Amino acid sequence: MADVVLKDIRKQFGATEIIRGVDLTVDEGEFAVFVGPSGCGKSTLLRMISGLEDVSSGELHIGGRRMNDVQAAKRGVGMVFQSYALYPHLNVRDNMGFGLKVRKVPVDERDRRVREAAATLKLDALLDRYPRQLSGGQRQRVAIGRAIVGSPDVFLFDEPLSNLDAELRVHMRSEIAALHNRLKTTMIYVTHDQIEAMTLADKIVVLRDGLVEQIGSPRDLYEKPNNVFVAQFIGSPRMNLLPAAEAKLISPTHALPASAVSVGVRPEHLRVVEPTTDSLSATVTLNEYTGAVTLMHVELPGGQTCLVVDDKRDMPPIGTRIGLTADKDNLHFFDADGRAVS
Amino acid sequence: MDLSRPETTARNDRAPWLTLKTREMLEAWLFVSPTVIGFLIFFLGPLVAVVYFSMTEWNLLSQKATFVGLDNFNDTLFKNPDFWHVVRNSVVFAIGLVPLNMALALTLALALSRPFFGVVFFRTVFFAPVITSAIAWAIVWKFLLQGEGGVINQMLALVGITGPNWLREPNWAMAAVIVTRVIKMVGLNMILYIAALQAVPRDYEEAARLEGASRWQVFTMVIWPLLAPTTLVILVITTIGSFKVFDHIYQMTGGGPENGTLVLAFYIYQQGFKFFNVGYAAALAMIMFVIVMALTLIQVWIRRRGTQ
Repeated sequence: MADVVLKDIRKQFGATEIIRGVDLTVDEGEFAVFVGPSGCGKSTLLRMISGLEDVSSGELHIGGRRMNDVQAAKRGVGMVFQSYALYPHLNVRDNMGFGLKVRKVPVDERDRRVREAAATLKLDALLDRYPRQLSGGQRQRVAIGRAIVGSPDVFLFDEPLSNLDAELRVHMRSEIAALHNRLKTTMIYVTHDQIEAMTLADKIVVLRDGLVEQIGSPRDLYEKPNNVFVAQFIGSPRMNLLPAAEAKLISPTHALPASAVSVGVRPEHLRVVEPTTDSLSATVTLNEYTGAVTLMHVELPGGQTCLVVDDKRDMPPIGTRIGLTADKDNLHFFDADGRAVS
Repeated sequence: MDLSRPETTARNDRAPWLTLKTREMLEAWLFVSPTVIGFLIFFLGPLVAVVYFSMTEWNLLSQKATFVGLDNFNDTLFKNPDFWHVVRNSVVFAIGLVPLNMALALTLALALSRPFFGVVFFRTVFFAPVITSAIAWAIVWKFLLQGEGGVINQMLALVGITGPNWLREPNWAMAAVIVTRVIKMVGLNMILYIAALQAVPRDYEEAARLEGASRWQVFTMVIWPLLAPTTLVILVITTIGSFKVFDHIYQMTGGGPENGTLVLAFYIYQQGFKFFNVGYAAALAMIMFVIVMALTLIQVWIRRRGTQ
């Protein structure tokens, strides 16, 4: 196990700066997730930690050792690629033992470690199969197994579940979480899926345009977003953002912060009530029944669309005028620059 | 009576003159017919003719073909020592050319598969000989390889080496035609290897690097096995090409010196168009066809095995 410390890390490709000064500490044994929209630099940051991309400037430390100029193979990291990167001409056993073979680990030792990792991941019966003979989930497990065999100090996952179908993704997510609980190794995981981030992470790092927007626990990010971007990126469906003046209607008892220009309220925090002068009036435009909840699209008098999530099966029909309220604790205020204000 | 029913409906209900299946089949034949006709006229027809001629004794000058059964094959395989000398030359040519060509092609592909400034220029330079006229290429090399006054020997002289008369000495002529042929054709295999290298996902190399593999280990343990299908194709087409080489030999050495570069394709030409033994030449062509076919079948067999 090792901690990972990034100090003012930057990455340039030609004149374009992709990573624009990232400061971050991932503690020993912590599960950190880099999340952000496509092109935000999360994979580049992960590749810089792995050593597959060099660091343009800044300091990178793993386990207290400066790693800027250390070869990828000597950083003590194991990586699981988005494509799995399983060698098609090698069977599972040889894929998992590849790193040990190139490091000239004796055959007996190699075999023992491969078997141990295979047992951990329930791959024992698949050791003689080739990647083409495996399902997506099995390939994913082999890729993780290959990383485990090397006993790295830090595991790096680059969008490892993005090629799996929805059901398998949920299953593999729980397997990765269980693996982290078992191994207690530092893990850094890249995803653009905020559900994966929320369910797996001890610490989430939200990135946008090469900069860290916020670092915190899933609960911190959900309950106390630093800015509009994080507020809308974390949580599904995304947070509704309304003019600050509407806050009085949504939650009449709330005092409006002086610098607030917008108010955010999550769809699941809005309650449907009879339309009164003390509630935000809206008209139902669409109901999407998903089984567990219904997602209601409503239109505000100003023409703005707002989402409401409710666990009731019978929502007001389309065209109904309704009122919306929320608890004051569930309102998030933002200033003109999009920063949170309390 | 339904007056609103359009009159055209009755016509539409009638079974069409051509069924959809027939129409699609006719369209398909229409599209493939140019190729089929070309195949029949330029490939299958001559092939059948060669099979027939190979069983005749036909001197082009006498204009008289006599059916002799398998006599031509019997003469070729068991009575004509020249044939085995020619086969030996063809095998030497192939053994010299194929590994050299493939090794050079792979080396060039490895160097030119990644983008860098000028990469397109270098790829063009190495591929240009492939599309150059074989005769023009051979003529130029014939001049370069002249014993006295040849550019190659003049350059060797600058470093104190007296070069041989490359194309006139039996020991050097075969080496000279092999090397010049390799330089001419290596670009084709280089392009095939570049395409194969570019198709190898970068992740494989990166994963291997992360696991501690050296560049050499990445190549031998990851890249080279992934190139196996391409290598097999290149191996077979280059081997077949080496057995079929004609223009190069015709222009550079004419099969000499002392029949040292007399290879199968050129020997067939000699028998058919210099000595006018068309029947015998056809039998030789059949034997060459069998050799080439055998190599092709081996390729298909190995590829099928690999796929399974």
